Formats: sequence, structure tokens, C-alpha cells
Amino acid sequence: MINAIIGIGYNHRGLEKACESRNYIQDLYIIERVCGICSHIHSTAFCMSIETLTGVTVSKRAEYIRVVVAELERLHSHLLWLGIAFHEIGFDTMFMYTWRNREKVLNLLATIGGNRVNYGVNTFGGVRRDFDETINAEILSTVDLLEEEIKSYLHLALTESTLAVRLVGVGKLSHEDAIKFGAVGPVARAAGIAEDMRVIEPFGAYKDFPLHVATDQGADVYGKTVVRILEMQESLRMIRLCIKNLPDGPLTVRVPRRVPAGEVLTRVEAPRGENIHYVRSNGTDMPDRVRVRAPSQANWHGMQHMLQGGNLADVPITIAAIDPCYSCTDRAIIIHSENETKLTDWRKLRQYSIDWYKKQGVDCSTLKL
Amino acid sequence: MAQLLAIIWKALVIPGFLFMSSYGFLVEFVDRKLYARMQNRIGPPWYQPLADFLKLIGKKTIIPSDADESMFRNMPIISLAAIASAFLYVPVLGMNAVFSFSGDLIIVLYFLAIPTLAMFLAGWYSRGVFATLGATRILTQMFVYEVPLFISLLAPALLAGSWSISGIAAYYAAHPLYALINIPCMFVALVAFQCKMERAPFDSPEAETEIVSGALVEYGGRLLAFFRWGSDCELVLILSLFSAIYLPFMTGILWLDLILYFVKTLLGLFLLTLMRATMARLVINEIVRFCWKYLTPVALLQVVFNLLIRRAL
Amino acid sequence: MMESEEKIVQILCERFPFLQGRIAARKAKRIFSDALSKDEFMQIVAFIHDELNFRRGHLVVGTDEGDNLGLLYVLSNPEFILLNLRESVPKANPVVTTLSDLYPSLMMHERELVSLFGVIVEGLPKGISYPLPDGWPEGNYPMRKEWNPDYFNRNTLAYDPPQEKEEQK
Repeated sequence: MINAIIGIGYNHRGLEKACESRNYIQDLYIIERVCGICSHIHSTAFCMSIETLTGVTVSKRAEYIRVVVAELERLHSHLLWLGIAFHEIGFDTMFMYTWRNREKVLNLLATIGGNRVNYGVNTFGGVRRDFDETINAEILSTVDLLEEEIKSYLHLALTESTLAVRLVGVGKLSHEDAIKFGAVGPVARAAGIAEDMRVIEPFGAYKDFPLHVATDQGADVYGKTVVRILEMQESLRMIRLCIKNLPDGPLTVRVPRRVPAGEVLTRVEAPRGENIHYVRSNGTDMPDRVRVRAPSQANWHGMQHMLQGGNLADVPITIAAIDPCYSCTDRAIIIHSENETKLTDWRKLRQYSIDWYKKQGVDCSTLKL
Repeated sequence: MAQLLAIIWKALVIPGFLFMSSYGFLVEFVDRKLYARMQNRIGPPWYQPLADFLKLIGKKTIIPSDADESMFRNMPIISLAAIASAFLYVPVLGMNAVFSFSGDLIIVLYFLAIPTLAMFLAGWYSRGVFATLGATRILTQMFVYEVPLFISLLAPALLAGSWSISGIAAYYAAHPLYALINIPCMFVALVAFQCKMERAPFDSPEAETEIVSGALVEYGGRLLAFFRWGSDCELVLILSLFSAIYLPFMTGILWLDLILYFVKTLLGLFLLTLMRATMARLVINEIVRFCWKYLTPVALLQVVFNLLIRRAL
Repeated sequence: MMESEEKIVQILCERFPFLQGRIAARKAKRIFSDALSKDEFMQIVAFIHDELNFRRGHLVVGTDEGDNLGLLYVLSNPEFILLNLRESVPKANPVVTTLSDLYPSLMMHERELVSLFGVIVEGLPKGISYPLPDGWPEGNYPMRKEWNPDYFNRNTLAYDPPQEKEEQK
């Protein structure tokens, strides 16, 4: 690998522009769908921004529920990453095992919020879903199950030799480079930077139960793997503490519709790192400016540096190690057959699928994208 | 005339081409099912490999405009033909293969090299980035596992004093305890066979997450169906070779030998699948290092040892 | 609690007298400044990077202030204090100098400003347009308040606001 050029932005959706022409409640739904895997943390950050602007204090119970769902989200995100990392190095068996455990977490999230992704737990002033005795029991039993499995992953990561051969020394991003390129989250923690927004700007249960920040000095993909597994163990510990000490109280507090003018920067710890939301309000019920800096955006800068000097075989695992939130690219097919040359681009593909569905009796041509 | 018909029957049906193909599909099914169960999944039904084959046959054949068309079309057939020819020299029913003569072990090993070369040429003449990368990896891997493979198959031949596979099988069937001497090179052969079949941990030429599908990335439809059919038959061939040379328990009774054949080949398959399920993929330079550092020395030691024992006998 | 933030504000105001009254530590770990002109901003940047140890760039937020375009640079130091400096340039001539030599992590955010707001960033190395695609028509800056996505035809890539049509009537 001599050099790499990063070309992204293929699925730019214009969310920030969309937020400016909708009111805050509609924007909550948009912000929640910035990412599928870390949806809750985005909506938490947005709700916290609005609560800061309106000067509202959320009840302790709501904050604890937010923390539990955030940690469950971190669990399923890291399990997903672990599976993908194993798949990238060709170890499909562990891919299947980790994703099977992830299913348990997703079922739990579906019980809590009603959906496996985009759970819709947050609202301005608190949360919309409550935990009762059955949910608490289910959470604790799932956590117990996962604890054994994650311990075995740590053992595997530390002892399996083929894994070490593939991951050690690959995708190095040193301490200085991590600061220079602005790496966040497990990528930075693997380089020895003990930075975690749950410790720096804590809310809710993070204030009451301090977190151990997992770091590694390796600065390579192996370090990132170990950091993520240790973080999963921390998440399990945190969830247990929160459920056992869940305070009573109201779920939501009233928040005014018109948000007073002002600006706020909120930082939270998403599974991939530091997530920054900037909201500027002008006194109406629509925001003036919303800016979301997802952690993956920060981690891309170091990518060029990490890829240089490696092998082609190391490229997938290096890119996967920053745990990017990808989207599909535009597609076009050119088919030459004996008689004709057909160019089918995205629009024609869409029309083709609409026609196909019409033959089945379903009309989706009126769907506005 | 009757003899000619008998030979044609044996070559084409049992234990020839038809038997090899159907057993190939069965072996692919067992492999995939075992792999799935080891991963806590359910796995495909028994007719899946046949269904995949029929579906692929029905698809349109697309050839990239840059590719060399005649090479592109011919490589799958050459691969299949070589394996079908080699299978005639491996004993399946009992101790005698359809054809056997002194030196057919070497012939079979040469035939076994042809599918690999065919895949290399197929990738090379596809003229795409991923295909070329996959093709060069195939050749690199071939250079490193051919030596331990050849040596570990020659060592039992030296001890048996015969260059014919049927002769080797007959010798070890008569003296079963001598087969225990060959255990180190049996493991070498197992690992070298896994390399040959390009299965994990040695599937770097076909690494799906790195180079999409390696040398066969541009293949689809009928031609891919033939390549996959060839791979399944190659698996049957090496399992039969493995069981004929290293696991030679024969009774002489036809139907009992057939059952023993299935048991032995499926045992070999189980070991190969276990290797596949429990290890991560090795990078190509790691494979080179591993083969030269561990496989070849053990095989060479086995040859020396066998020569000494043969002297003593 | 806010000592280090207050101290930083004090140091900055002593060193650059034009900052008096225009920069304040609003709450824990947040220092905000009012809009600075391009020259004032460039004077401060080297000092902040070298002396005050704000070596980490997080993001640049572009805002549309009517006649001006605002750029909010968010930087942090090893104590995780966020320093938010606002630079203001006129929309008619939105030229700024790049900070990507001091803060490489801000390069992508500056490219975003170029695509979405039409800011001209001097010294930005050549690169692939982000986040808008390569064939994006010139003069269309989506994040400016006057650009309305309803008037943009995604198939022809033409921007037709209705006022022109009314004038043609």
C-alpha cells in the first residue's frame, strides 16, 4: 500500500438543511436517524442540547434509563464490530458467534423500545419508555449471559495466535498522530489517550458511578480490538449498577415549544467516539442551525496515514478498525450483449423496480424520496 | 468388446465420472453442513450443491471485454477433465483402481496441478485488478505447498516400495501397522491438501473481503458452475488419495470396502472442515513462511526415516 | 471550577487587547468568542496553538448570518476545554485562510464549507469535493439560507427559483 485517497460523501442526505425547515420535535426524529447503530446517542445529545437551551433539568430516573439504553447500544455496536473484524480477517466462525450474541441484545432493545434500531426512547425533557420489573429482570439475565461470552472473547483475543498475526502491528496510529489527526473513541484510546466523554462530560449515572477508561498502548488494530472488548465489560458493569440502583421519579419534564435564543455544544460518547452536536436557536420553534459531528467523521483523517506502508490484505481490517458508519454508493451497470448496449443507471434501476412491483400489484411510484 | 464396455462403464459411471460427481456434491453438502453446525447455524439441505449447480447453469455467461475469450471459456473444462482423468488411478472400490501402473502416483500428482494452473490462467486472462491479484496469490501458494505435498505423498510410497497408488494401498492393507509410521507426514499432507483446495486458513487467493473472489471474480453462469464442479470433484479426489495412502484398512469384500471408503473419506473431510472452522485466514507471506518452516522439514524427516526403515526391512 | 477557563480568557485578553469583552467562559469547559474579522482571527491562531496548547481541532461549523458567513472553529486542549472562535466574513467575498497546516483534522470540515457554503479557503490542498458529488453545478451552495431545495431539479441539476418565472409573466 503506497497511498490511498479518501473519497466519501456518497450518501450525503442533507440532514442539517432539513433540520432548519422543521420544528424541534420533527428534528428529533431526523437526528435519531443519522445513524442506525448509534441512533440513541444522537437523540440523547440532541435532547440534551435542547434541555440546556431551555434550562430544563431532567429527572434522575430518565437519565438512568438513557444511560442503560446507551450502554446496551454500545454493547450491540461493539459486538457488531467484533463480528465484522473477524469476518474481515476470514474467521467466519467467530463472526457467527458474536452476531448470535448481538441478537440477544437486539431482542432486549426491541422489548424496551419496540424496535431493534432507532428505539425512540428519548424525548425532550426525559424518556418515553419506562422500565418495569419484567424488563429489569430480562436485562439482568441477558447481561449475565453476555458476561460469560465476552470473557471468552477476551481470552480468545489474548491467546489465539492466528489473530495476533493478523492484527498486531497493522494500521498503526501513534499517540502524536492520533492527536494531530483528531482521532476519537477506541481509535484514540488504543493509542494511549485516556479520553472518554463519559468521564469528561458525564451525565446521569456516569456522574454517580465513575467509569474505568480502557486504554492500550499498542496503537494498532489489535489494541483497538482489546479496547473494545474491555469497553463491553465496562458496559455490562454499568448496566448492572444502573438497574440495581434505578431511582424513582417522573419520566419527563415539560419543555417549552419555543426554544429561547442561544447556542450550545453538547459532547457525548457514542460507541465510535466523541459525538458533538451544535444547536443554535433563534427563539422560534425551528432551529437556526444544527450541526452533527459524528465520530466517524473525525476518524477518517487518520485513515490515509494508517493505510500507508501496509499490505493489501491489511486494508479491510484497517478500515474496519475505525468502525466507520458506511452507506452504499451510487450504482450503474453497463451490459453489452450481442444486439445492443444498455446503460442502466440509478434512475433506470429505480424505474425497473417500480415496473416490476407494478406487475405484482404493488404501486410504489408515488413514494417521494 | 465386453472388456472395452466394462472399462467405459468403470471410467464413466462407477467408480468414474458419475460416481465422482455425485459424491462430490454429497461431500460439498457434508462440508457445508458441518461448517454450519460448528458455527451454531443450521446449514443447507442435502440438495443444496446440486441446486446451486443447476441454478448457475441457467444463468447468462458474461465475459469481460478485456478478457481473452478462448482461455476464459476453456479453463473450466480443462480443470474438470484433468481431475476426471486423475480419478481413474485412485482406488475406490477395493484395492484396485480402474487403471494402475507403476508410477501412476506421479501422474496423479501432475494431474492435480492442472486445476490450480487452470485457475491461475483463468484469473490472469480475465485482466482485472482483483483477478490478477488472486491469480498471483494462487501461484505463490502453489510454489510453497507443492513441495511438502509431493514429499509427504512420496514417503509412504518409499516405505511400501511401490510407485503405484493401488500398490501402496495393497501393501498397507497387508501390513496395517506400518501405516502408523506415516502419521507425521499424514498431518503434513492434510495441511498441504487444505492449501491446495484454498480453504481457510489458506484461502488468501480467494479472500472475499480483500479481493472479492480472487482469480474467478469475472466468472459467472455455466463457466463458474464447471469450475465449482471441478472443485468438488477435486475434493473427492484428494480425500480418496488421502484415504488410499494413509488409511488403508481393506477387507477385500466389495460392499464392505465401499462403506469403509465412505467412512475414511468423510473422516478426512471432518478434519479438513474442523481446520476451516477454527482458524482465521493467513496472509500470503505467512503461508509461505509456514510451509517452508514447518511443513517441508517434517516431510523431509519422514522421507529419511522411511528410507531407513525400508533398509531395515 | 472554572478557574482554568477564566485564566485562559484572561491570558488571551491581555495578549490581544481587541478581544476585551468579546470572549467569555460561559460555563464549564466552554469558551465562546464573538465574531472576529479574518485578520483578528489569524493573529490569534498561532498563539493559541503554540502557547495555550489548543492542538486539537474538532470541527468547523458554518453559519449563514444574512450578509455574512460565520465560521465557528471548535478547538480543545489537553484539559478538554473547548475553545469556540467565531470568524465572520462577508458573503460577497468569503475568503479565509486554511488552518489545516496547524490542525490537519479540520481539512475535511473546511472542504465541507467550500462545497456547502461557498467559502474560499486559501491554501487548502487540492482534493476530492466533499460532501457534494463531482458534477455539482457551480454557484449552488445548499447550506446558505437563500437556497431552497424545492427549487432544485435533481435530474437536470438546475436551480429555478419561482421569482424569475413570475417576472417572465
